[in-house]
Amino acid sequence: MSETNKKWYSLNLNRSKKSESCGCGSNSGGCNSDKPKDGFDQIMDISMSRRTAFTKITAGLLIGAGAVSSSCSIIGSDESKEKSAMEWEEYFKGNYKLMTDEEKDKSINRLVRSYELNHGKKINISSKNAEENVLFGYAFNISKCQGYMDCVNACVEENNQDRTSEMQYIRIHEMKDGKGFNFEEADDNYYHEVPADGHFYMGTQCFHCDNPPCVEVCPVQATWKEKDGIVVIDYDWCIGCRYCMAACPYDGRRFNWKTPEVPEEEVNKNQHYLGNRLRKKGVMEKCTFCIQRSREGKNPACVEACPTGSRTFGNLLDPNSTIRWILDNKKVFRLKEDLGTEPKFWYYMD
Amino acid sequence: MTAKIKVITQFIVVCLFTISCKHSDEHKYHTVIDKIEANTVEYKGEISSDIYNETIKKVEVIDSDFKFLIPERKSQIVSYKCSECHSQPLEKLKEHKVGEKAAHWNIKLNHAGPETMNCTTCHNKNDFDHLQSLTNSSIDFNFSYKLCSQCHQKEFKDWKGGAHGKQLGGWAPPRLSNTCVNCHNPHNPKFEKRWPVRFNTTVEKERE
Amino acid sequence: MKTLKVFGSLIKDAFLEVTHGSRAYHIWMGVLTLIMLFGMYNYSIQLEQGLSATGMTDRVSWGLYISNFTFLVGVAAAAVMLVLPAYVLKNIDFKQAVLIGEGLAVSALLMCLAFVVADMGGPARLWHMIPGIGVFNFPNSMLAWDVIVLNGYLFINITIPLYILIMRYQGKTPNPKIYIPGVFLSVFWAVAIHMVTAFLYQGLQARPFWNNALLGPRFLASAFAAGPALIIIVLAIIRKFTAFKIADETIKKISMIVTVAAQINLIMLISELFKEFYAPTHHSISAVYLFFGLEGKTALLPWIWTSISLNVMATIALTFHKIRNNLNILYVLCGMLFIAIWIEKGFGLIVPGFIPGPWGKISEYTPSFVEISVTLGIWAMGAFIFTILAKTGIAVEMGQLVYKKK
Repeated sequence: MSETNKKWYSLNLNRSKKSESCGCGSNSGGCNSDKPKDGFDQIMDISMSRRTAFTKITAGLLIGAGAVSSSCSIIGSDESKEKSAMEWEEYFKGNYKLMTDEEKDKSINRLVRSYELNHGKKINISSKNAEENVLFGYAFNISKCQGYMDCVNACVEENNQDRTSEMQYIRIHEMKDGKGFNFEEADDNYYHEVPADGHFYMGTQCFHCDNPPCVEVCPVQATWKEKDGIVVIDYDWCIGCRYCMAACPYDGRRFNWKTPEVPEEEVNKNQHYLGNRLRKKGVMEKCTFCIQRSREGKNPACVEACPTGSRTFGNLLDPNSTIRWILDNKKVFRLKEDLGTEPKFWYYMD
Repeated sequence: MTAKIKVITQFIVVCLFTISCKHSDEHKYHTVIDKIEANTVEYKGEISSDIYNETIKKVEVIDSDFKFLIPERKSQIVSYKCSECHSQPLEKLKEHKVGEKAAHWNIKLNHAGPETMNCTTCHNKNDFDHLQSLTNSSIDFNFSYKLCSQCHQKEFKDWKGGAHGKQLGGWAPPRLSNTCVNCHNPHNPKFEKRWPVRFNTTVEKERE
Repeated sequence: MKTLKVFGSLIKDAFLEVTHGSRAYHIWMGVLTLIMLFGMYNYSIQLEQGLSATGMTDRVSWGLYISNFTFLVGVAAAAVMLVLPAYVLKNIDFKQAVLIGEGLAVSALLMCLAFVVADMGGPARLWHMIPGIGVFNFPNSMLAWDVIVLNGYLFINITIPLYILIMRYQGKTPNPKIYIPGVFLSVFWAVAIHMVTAFLYQGLQARPFWNNALLGPRFLASAFAAGPALIIIVLAIIRKFTAFKIADETIKKISMIVTVAAQINLIMLISELFKEFYAPTHHSISAVYLFFGLEGKTALLPWIWTSISLNVMATIALTFHKIRNNLNILYVLCGMLFIAIWIEKGFGLIVPGFIPGPWGKISEYTPSFVEISVTLGIWAMGAFIFTILAKTGIAVEMGQLVYKKK
């Protein structure tokens, strides 16, 4: 079967040059066996060196400008020069999906170093790729969730989300029994003793669709599906057009309307390039199944924090995993299945 | 003129089809379930949850097709063995004297009704170091789920599969799951009502 | 080399032309400049604070900027539609209108691009879209298509009039064999930009309000009404303030186009309303919000009902030849139609697409002061560019600007 199985018609220009065995189309990254190529390069076969040349030329200009500015300012030091040079190189780095491992390392070194210069503390940023034979999925037991919202707090802390705007990836909807899944009447910002009588609770977040509309619409391929099924965003590549936000039927995406603020002592320093590293204003972000944890074998923070065991995370390809048992044995369903997005987030009841 | 246009349209259509017919792995499957079924393979990767669960003492559950770990219980009970105190008859211990260590005084059984359950449904008057089943056979404290599963058959089935309860550490094998009493107090198994841990004021403002 | 010289001379002459004019002209340009500067100042605030300076939220994530963008794509497309009768049907009346139309298209397109840039979270990273050094999600992303067609359209609409003007400037007759193919292309392209922009919204299964097959055709119909309506108004102004002669016949013919388009637009509106309200489904809820309000939230009601009543009144009045042929009334009707469609394609289309959100939550959208100022600034920029283009074009057409061989 081929492309024709998709729910809408789409051309296949920039996937065409990839080899069959590689299996990483434009939607999935983490495949570095080929020489990386940009979207248009794949069509036009222009080598990557153009941007490198551009970077070098402009970096030359910057060093000139930097020299002028540092000679003018009294506090101009080697550190500030290093900082601005790093910022410049960061500005002109490529899309993570297309970087070689070496380029990834370089970028990460710059990010770690610049955090050290700015805050005097070391952080750890991983660039771990997807494992073989792993496809992540999630199940949510709506009979068990009590609406305590421990998951929400754990998520905010784990993923360094902006504290001032109260950005959260997870929403817990309080629904009335007997009304079905009536999101219109549900309350996702309740504050009373829970579980409230005659109500049940349903959590939503990014569903990591297998056929994600957000990935399809991004004009610069700043978001894509990794091989292990996690839909990720390259925060440094996103231009902030918010088309993905309009395309997501699940309210899974968040935008940094302002510079996110996380108190220094609360910063989670165990980070992943595609996960919880600190974001800047004007870029999208969302749940990554805690990629910095899940790629290491851990459960996402929400799963770990849940006191009721409503949340199950695991490898869909492993026949012995608990998530597979749920899919095979419980009456599972997903939200808005008619849209053809194929979420990897299932709900079930006891 | 019209002929020209026709040729051009045909050309465009042919172009579009050749482009779109390039196969890619990504869209080989109609649904994600197809994809999962086609690619199912037992995970034998290098990632393991062991490092996250190192500090927890474990015992293995083997029940029909299921084989997984649960936290060991006995070492977690403060004064196991029970028989160290329960060397005297219960009536004697109840005559509590000043200066003696008091235990269990705060336990109030809130589990099913008194006509269904009392202390001796699970505890054995004659062997405090073990639990006892409905048919008076002895159950080890480490395997207390056997006791619960006598009534909670459905939950037991879900728990074995992973639909009930909670996996500890990580998703990666080996699986270590909480056992019943790690989440439920056997004397008062229902989850308490409490306040949610957060309330969003900005969301409230936005929706005014 | 010679063409370059001629072009250089044209630029020089044009610069002289646009810097000289009547007092009214200078006041007009001065006011526009002030508004632009004000807009730029507010844009700098937005750059500093991020898009939190706007009224947009996670719930309604596109607002005034994208609304104006959508509307102006229509204006840009429709302006060039006039090219077809002018050049191909050899209808001499239209020729003057066309030059104005192309100028309008160029300024509308530049406004479109400005609105898109204003809406970006990271305008500094826009180079990620440049083919060759960036990554372009073509052909999957409709936004990528839009960028291509808009820039292509801009290119076409700059080159064709430039060619004609340069020829006229030298006192030569433009060679139809050179520009007619371009004109054909630009007409098809005009349809394309509008359809692609409609597809941008139409292709989102997440938003039932937009995910509707009528959106593209309705975009075209409303654009054909609003674009030429604007041209009529502009022609009327030009007629009044310059020596440029525009026959009544030209305006009347354009008004015919406006009328038919407005009627078709109204039919489509009725069709949409019928579908949403005769058999309302869960997906009609955005329409309910738009037209009647939901849970006491009624921010869009005054807008949409103003739009609909203006639209209906103007369309009915335009239908009668007698009323339409009275030019003074025609200008008013065109103004009404223009405003009606601006509301309908802007606020009336973009904002309700987001309300209620995917989980039924309603938070309303009110543009912030910064947002409105930037929007006004961009409109002033459009008017500024158009004035420059029109003034130069008219001067060349009227033979006031002629290439002098030195």
